[in-house]
Order: sequence, then structure tokens, then C-alpha cells
Amino acid sequence: MTLRDRVAVAGVGRTELSKNSGVSTLTLALRAIRAALDDAGLSLRDVDGVATHGVGDSAPAPVVAAALGIRDVAFMLNQSGGGGLSATVVGYAAAAIATGQAEVVVCWRAINARSEFRMGGTGRDAPPLAEFQYQVPYGYLAPPQQFAMLARELLDGGALDERVLGTVSVTQRANAARNPRAMLRTPLSLDDYLASPWVVEPLRLLDCCLETDAAVALVLTSAARARDLARPPVLIRAFATGGGDTLYSTRRTTLAPSAAALMAPRLFGAAGLRPEDIDVAELYDAFTPLVPLQLEDYGLCPPGGAAEFILAGQTAIGGRLPVNTHGGHLSEGYVHGLNHVAEAVDQLRGDAGDRQVAGARTALVSAQPGYVGGVTSALILGGSR
Amino acid sequence: MTWRQPRADRDSAEWWAAVARHELLLQRCDDCAGLRWPPRAMCAGCGGFDWTWRPSAGRGTVASWIRSHRAFAPDLPLPHVTVLVRLADQPDLLLPGGWSGTGDPPVGRAVRLCFADIEPGLSLLSWEAAP
Repeated sequence: MTLRDRVAVAGVGRTELSKNSGVSTLTLALRAIRAALDDAGLSLRDVDGVATHGVGDSAPAPVVAAALGIRDVAFMLNQSGGGGLSATVVGYAAAAIATGQAEVVVCWRAINARSEFRMGGTGRDAPPLAEFQYQVPYGYLAPPQQFAMLARELLDGGALDERVLGTVSVTQRANAARNPRAMLRTPLSLDDYLASPWVVEPLRLLDCCLETDAAVALVLTSAARARDLARPPVLIRAFATGGGDTLYSTRRTTLAPSAAALMAPRLFGAAGLRPEDIDVAELYDAFTPLVPLQLEDYGLCPPGGAAEFILAGQTAIGGRLPVNTHGGHLSEGYVHGLNHVAEAVDQLRGDAGDRQVAGARTALVSAQPGYVGGVTSALILGGSR
Repeated sequence: MTWRQPRADRDSAEWWAAVARHELLLQRCDDCAGLRWPPRAMCAGCGGFDWTWRPSAGRGTVASWIRSHRAFAPDLPLPHVTVLVRLADQPDLLLPGGWSGTGDPPVGRAVRLCFADIEPGLSLLSWEAAP
């Protein structure tokens, strides 16, 4: 039995993206879930499953389930962890539906990542991970620091240069300019990028994602049931998770090869597709180096060819493989990967307005490729048009 | 600067106690002789639970480094450099640490361990260019 095409995304809901929501993460979650149910044409009473993840920064799944008024929760996933897990929330929920565990599962991520709980402990205690004891005493704890270590290896190794990273930033901002939801929509030039201040060398401010208060929710149900609902179903073609090595696992001598490279063959195998079949890719982009890294690790460009692919404009809307069509975490906002899934649904429904990729039928959505946390995950979504 | 005090746990308490004495210890598996860090009960290579502390020579190369220009933690002078060192003892041992050298610590540079005495009772790993 495989998951292929048996479960659909039937609804999508989003809150506003802001620097200060003024409300709790529970309220954000409820708003996004209610919007997603409305989009699907379902009601609260249809929901029998809940799935989310967090890093101690959000209302946990049992609290949300109770607030939704679900009396008998058939499936509950309350993953503890960061961006590498974002696609697992959707993938495991889909598996629960495919095996008859649950019928209608809401998946969400709700964060006040700017106004309340900034990632990596900035402004509060460090996350309660045992390995942080080996970093925090050096003042080395925040995500831009961790990803700057990776960027340095890639830059010094000659795989990337600052023009490539800058082009990622500039290209995604151009996409965001076409996205009315995006937090940053003013076009950028490469000179703007090069003039932006260092956050952690070798990463500049414009290499870093936004810090956002927001929630995104999805409603999942069987493909059969979704056909009778309000919106065209977007089928889940494949899901995979993989990797596991971290800096602290005594198996790794360099930082760069990501968990995505190990996992990608399983993902495409489960989908029965090849990288060339992907029409649009929403790649986890907490920091710019993750885009070229994943283009190569998923085989979406020739090996060693990510820099050239990006510099040639192939990741822009209208290029060979448009990437992060909403602007990504860099410019739309940071909803920890789930806004990338929502954007893929928009693209596959043909709902993406000025940023629509013509003829988009198949989308790849990735989670953080496993640097820091070890584990990654990804989805391939197939269009219904 | 209490945040700089390592939050040692039951696996790491002896290791941190050694750092306080200016010693860098590694675990050596009694079954397969593999070295490991950070301290853990079991060898991920062979599954063995028996091990012995072994001092590291404190030599390695810079695997990567960063210079932080923003204050993510209080009271550190900005900018400050953090290095990731690949130990010569075994190439899959990557340790974060401070930088006591002059200038940038370029990737691949041979380094040796020194210890930074932060305050009474608190020493941390730091590295400098090896001659």
C-alpha cells in the first residue's frame, strides 16, 4: 500500500502575516483552522484529527483540539521540533487518513516568532535541547549563527559565492512583489543585497528569513471525499522523511551534504516521478544558502550546477523551475514551512494570481534540509486540473 | 554571566568538570576503539556500553567559522568569532569553540586548543593557530 494520490488537501487557511499579531498562538491556530475548514466547505464537527509541530513556542495539539471542541480525537500529532519536520505534519496526517485512522485532519503551524518567541532563544532561554549546552556558552545559539557555519563551508569550498546568494534574495523578492500577502514587496537589486549589513558573517540581513507572527492551516481528507467538497482537491502524490545525522552524531565530517540528498531518491520513488517532472518548487529557505543546496540535493538542477541555474534566472517565475513563488520565508514571511505548502496548493489550484506558474501540475515542497536538527521531510503534490 | 555556565547533564557532567581543569576528554569505546563526542552511554558504531575517557591532544583544523555582529546573547563584545573545529583525533569529531587567535581563522587552518578562563569556576574551549 502506498500513499500515492489517496489523500488530498481540501482546504487552506491563513492569518495575516505580521510582526505583532497581538493575539495568542492558540487564537492564531483557531483562526487559520476555521478559515481552512471554510475553504474546504467543512465544519468543526467534521474534524477528527489534529497535527502540528513546535519548539515549545506554540499552543500544543491537545489544547487546540479541546478548543476546537473535538470530543473524540482519532488522530493527534504534536511533533516537537523545527523546520525539518514541517512536511511530516502533513505526511503523517495523510498516512493516518489513508489507513482509516481518521477522516478529516487539520494540520497547522501557529507562531508569534517576532513578538513572543524568537527562534533559537533570542530574548529568552535557549531551547531545552541537551546539545545546546556545547554551544550556548560561546554565545552560539541562534539560527543565523548555525546556518552561517554551513554557508562558510559552501562559500569557502567554492560551491557558492555572494552573487548566487544575492540572486536568491533578489529573485524571491521579485516573486513577493506579485504576492499581496507578502510582508516585504519592494523590489531589490544585487547592490541592495551587497549593501545589507552583516548579521553573522558570511550571512547578511538579506540572507535571513523574516521573523513573523502568523498561522497557516490545511484540511486533509481522503481523495474520494475531497472530490465532493468546495474546492478542487490537491492530491498528495508522495511524502518522505529522512536523514538524522547532526553535528553531534559522530558520523559527519563536513556540514554540507544534507539529509535531503539521502532522502530524495525515496521521495521521487514513492511518487513515481523524476526531478524533471516538477513544475514548481517551494524550498525551505530560512537562509539563502538552503536554496542552491536543495536544488542540487533534490536533483532539480544538474549536479554542481545550482549557482549557474540561479544566476541564469531559471528559478524565477518564467524560468525552467520557479522556486518560492510566494517570496518564501525571505520575503513572504516565516510560518516554519507550512506557508510553502499553502503556496503549492494555490499554484496547483491555479489560484496564484499574478505569480501563477503557467501549467503548474506538480509541486515539490521541502522542509528544512536537516542541518542542525538532522531530520528533513518533503511532499510532492499533484494538481487536479 | 550565568548564561555562559554550561548546563551539564548526567551524561556530560564529568566532561565539563575536565574542561574546568583544562582537559579535553573523549570517550573511547572499549569494544570497537571508536572515539566519540559529545559524551553518551552507547557507541553508535557498535552498540557497546563500555568505554574509557581518553585525553585529546587538542589539535585539529578549522571546519568552519562565523563572526557574529548581533547580540544573540547578552554581554559578549561584538563582533565575536566562533569556530567549529574538526579534531585530529578522528575526523568526525566536530566541536564548537571560541577563537583566541589573531585575525580570521580560515577554513582548513591547523589549530591547537587553549582554554579561555571566563570567570572563576568557568573555563571554555578556545582555539588558536598552531605553529
